[in-house]
Amino acid sequence: MSEMNSNNEKSDKLFEMQREQGPILEVKDLKVDFTTGNNHAVHAVRDASFNVYPGQWVAIVGESGSGKSTSAMAVLGLLPGTGHVVGGSIKLEGEEISHYTRKQYEQILGDKMGLVPQDPMSNLNPVWRIGTQVEEALKANHMDISHEKRSKLAQALAGGGVAVKSEDDETFIGSKELPELLKAAQAALNEAGVTGDGAKNKMDYFTKEWVPGSETRWRVADDLIKAGVSDDKAWQIAKQYVTGSTMTDRIAGLLEEAGLPDAATRARQYPHEFSGGMLQRALIAIGLACRPDLLIADEPTSALDVTVQKKILDHLHTLTDELGTAVLFITHDLGLAAERAQHIVVMYKGQVVESGPSLDVLQHPQHPYTKRLVAAAPSLASQRIISAKEHGENADALMEHHAKGEETLEKSEHIITVSHLTKEFKLPRKKEMFKAVDDVSFSVKRGTTLAIVGESGSGKSTVANMVLKLLKPTSGTVTYEGKDISEFEGKSLLDFRRHVQPVFQNPYGSLDPMYSIYRSIEEPLRIHKIGDKKSREQRVRELLDLVKMPQSVMQRYPNELSGGQRQRIAVARAMALNPDVIVCDEAVSALDVLVQDQVLQLLNDLQAERGLSYLFITHDLAVVRQIADEVVVMQKGKLVEHATTDEVFEHPQKQYTKDLLDAIPGGHLQLGLD
Amino acid sequence: MSDNTIQQAKASSRILPGQERYVAPAGKVELQDVDSVDESMPATNMWADAWRTLRRNPLFIVSAILIVCIIFVALFPGVFTHRDPNFCQLDHSLEKSSPGHPFGYDTQGCDVFTRTVYGTRTSLSVGILTAILVVIFGSVIGALGGFFGGWVDALLSRFTDIFMAIPMLLGAIVVLQMFRTSGSIWKIVLVLTLFGWTQTSRIARSAVMETKNLEFNTAATALGSTPGRNLLRHIMPNSFASIIVIGTTSLGSYIVSEATLSFLGIGLPTTTVSWGGDISNAQTILRTDPSVLFYPSAALAITVLAFIMMGDAVKDALDPKSRTA
Repeated sequence: MSEMNSNNEKSDKLFEMQREQGPILEVKDLKVDFTTGNNHAVHAVRDASFNVYPGQWVAIVGESGSGKSTSAMAVLGLLPGTGHVVGGSIKLEGEEISHYTRKQYEQILGDKMGLVPQDPMSNLNPVWRIGTQVEEALKANHMDISHEKRSKLAQALAGGGVAVKSEDDETFIGSKELPELLKAAQAALNEAGVTGDGAKNKMDYFTKEWVPGSETRWRVADDLIKAGVSDDKAWQIAKQYVTGSTMTDRIAGLLEEAGLPDAATRARQYPHEFSGGMLQRALIAIGLACRPDLLIADEPTSALDVTVQKKILDHLHTLTDELGTAVLFITHDLGLAAERAQHIVVMYKGQVVESGPSLDVLQHPQHPYTKRLVAAAPSLASQRIISAKEHGENADALMEHHAKGEETLEKSEHIITVSHLTKEFKLPRKKEMFKAVDDVSFSVKRGTTLAIVGESGSGKSTVANMVLKLLKPTSGTVTYEGKDISEFEGKSLLDFRRHVQPVFQNPYGSLDPMYSIYRSIEEPLRIHKIGDKKSREQRVRELLDLVKMPQSVMQRYPNELSGGQRQRIAVARAMALNPDVIVCDEAVSALDVLVQDQVLQLLNDLQAERGLSYLFITHDLAVVRQIADEVVVMQKGKLVEHATTDEVFEHPQKQYTKDLLDAIPGGHLQLGLD
Repeated sequence: MSDNTIQQAKASSRILPGQERYVAPAGKVELQDVDSVDESMPATNMWADAWRTLRRNPLFIVSAILIVCIIFVALFPGVFTHRDPNFCQLDHSLEKSSPGHPFGYDTQGCDVFTRTVYGTRTSLSVGILTAILVVIFGSVIGALGGFFGGWVDALLSRFTDIFMAIPMLLGAIVVLQMFRTSGSIWKIVLVLTLFGWTQTSRIARSAVMETKNLEFNTAATALGSTPGRNLLRHIMPNSFASIIVIGTTSLGSYIVSEATLSFLGIGLPTTTVSWGGDISNAQTILRTDPSVLFYPSAALAITVLAFIMMGDAVKDALDPKSRTA
């Protein structure tokens, strides 16, 4: 209870401070244009206004092309290509910066504003060590590497514990002095009469917490005092042994703060030796290296698995809270925005359509666009989509349909059965084989959807490729309609292909750019020699209607369509042969929420109309709930859990499943209450 | 529930200035259908796009006009001169230009203008035929290696390396020695192809290898397509842009090579009119009568420049990196 009170007190104080200091970033009526080849201006941002206060998290939400990233880049003075600010004002700590030159921007970038970019893979130089890249950020801003720099806000907020800290109190621990410091701490503990397990616990705590290049003198003293060492003695030890860090210490300290374990070793590695999550952590370390007052994070975790995303954001949260850094973060994920930010700004077509306290905006959306976004957001609260066709029918018919559906579900045979499926790959430079898929068994019931969920590297796509007979399993079998698919060849293989169709993840890659939409959809008909020219054209028109695309797109090429439109074309192509089974490999993962919702609706309608069975591969548990009847959870090639969707969501059996559910951003929030 | 209300009440009292609830007035932003197709946009594809880019490129316009003129001259030399290029009268030897003979005469008393006009056909045929053969031969070898990989690729790559290791000119000299007397341009075309296909093959191989891994091939396989069909219907058309670029760019260099070989006296015999041969003949009198050397050289330079410029323009238009995704 007392903790809660002190928390409240702290947030009250923070609120007062924020009101007193005023916004750190004030964007008013911002206008950004891009000029195209023939001097035609494209209005990327129109009259956007928003404020960010010190220590606050503000989210800009919107679909791709809404101008959210452009606004952030305008603030940073990093507009790409022909983009430029044509109106409005951007004030950083009360100073107008929109007219700044490149040189003036260099002065404030890093030091006052930091950036965590979107794509960790392309934002680190592959030929430099991670440590060198952190060092570059420190050197470019002439950072003092032996002393911590605290924001005004952090100083004011930390005021409660230690009175006024002098400059020297913020000196970092050096790795050279650390062993002696620990020895002295041990001695001091003994002297203070702390012995046995108590002393051991305290020492373990010290060893863990006292990170060179990150922990400061006053904290060491503070820890010692809390452990029972007398004030004088504690400060004496702290002053004697905490005498500042070297560059190497500081780099390791920064990386450690960003959540990289064993940072000193990691700093000497190259980007290709890091996973996506680790690279993102390194970028966070770089973004925060110079202790900016404002950190701009552009979709910082969109490329990462949900559990990694949660860990990184949690970490960033504690870190920025401690440093008093304000965070402006850009995301397309409403749940994430609601969970992390106090203030939320919704952008659409370059304009701010709604803004306000995040929970308020999401629970009572007022603008039609926000309403639409909230309605489409796949959160835990959402249920399996009921087909629009079913919606239209009256309640009785709906009930009947359901009853019938359930009956067939019980009785029907399994259209695809996977048993003891294993796939091993040979890794380069390694002797042992890597098991991408390890003894996985499940079956897809006719007319239902089975989702395989897992993070990257779980082997879910490998399973999909084996089911599609694009990969040969090392052992185990896949049967379609009771027949082993490994025996299909020639005519029977063609027949199998006719009945089992894929929709792939990347809408930009799965359509041949040289083929017109007509030719793309017609291709399966040609391959299987179905119909003549005229009847094929008729079929293509039907299919376009089916996926709700205008027939005029027939003569267009994939590069003219958006990702969602291409994915609908891919669905049309898959439907051309009237298949029984469609394997969707991350089919909606690359799409914006609204578009994703639209494609899911389409898939669902098709299932209701034609009794299709889906094998749905995804990393996104929220989507699973909207589309799947059964769920298979995979981790590192193994099947972890297999149950009905409701069962998995309401009573997850395994810890891994619970972690996955827990990591869904905004999962516990009720969105769109009215 | 009551907890919730309290929190909300508290939250609303805690709004910082400038962060009050804002909703854009209705009508300010027009809401569009989710992901609707913009049907007003003109239909485009890669080739149409490339053509549009090309049409606006001055480099392309200039080179295209030049090339059209050059081709016209090559096809109908009789329009420009009524004389026979091999009709020479020694009494006109090294005469200066006169009406009807704008470029004057060479040592043998042949009309330089007529010879330059007729030389166009030889140079152009050699260039174009070699480019076509090189593209066909090079891309077949390269595509097979790139598509099948493994030992097929290893074998074909080593085969390519062998030819790459022989300098084109040296190889051409050795081979052409055997057909010294033949006046057919085909011997030059075949020799240039024999030693020139390697570069195209390498480019075709890497283009095929890159396209092979794109997802639409997997998609086609899953639709029931066979590997051979994938190669012909999907991979080759997608790799064609880079092959076209290298073909156009090297066309100019084949014309130069023909001239070089003729200059060295191992190309075409003097009975076949060619710029290289004329340049070679004029070399001996360079100091006294430079104009005799000038005209065939200038014609050669303009032709080669036109094709290289065209190659550059095509490359700009078809460069996969500048293509919009």
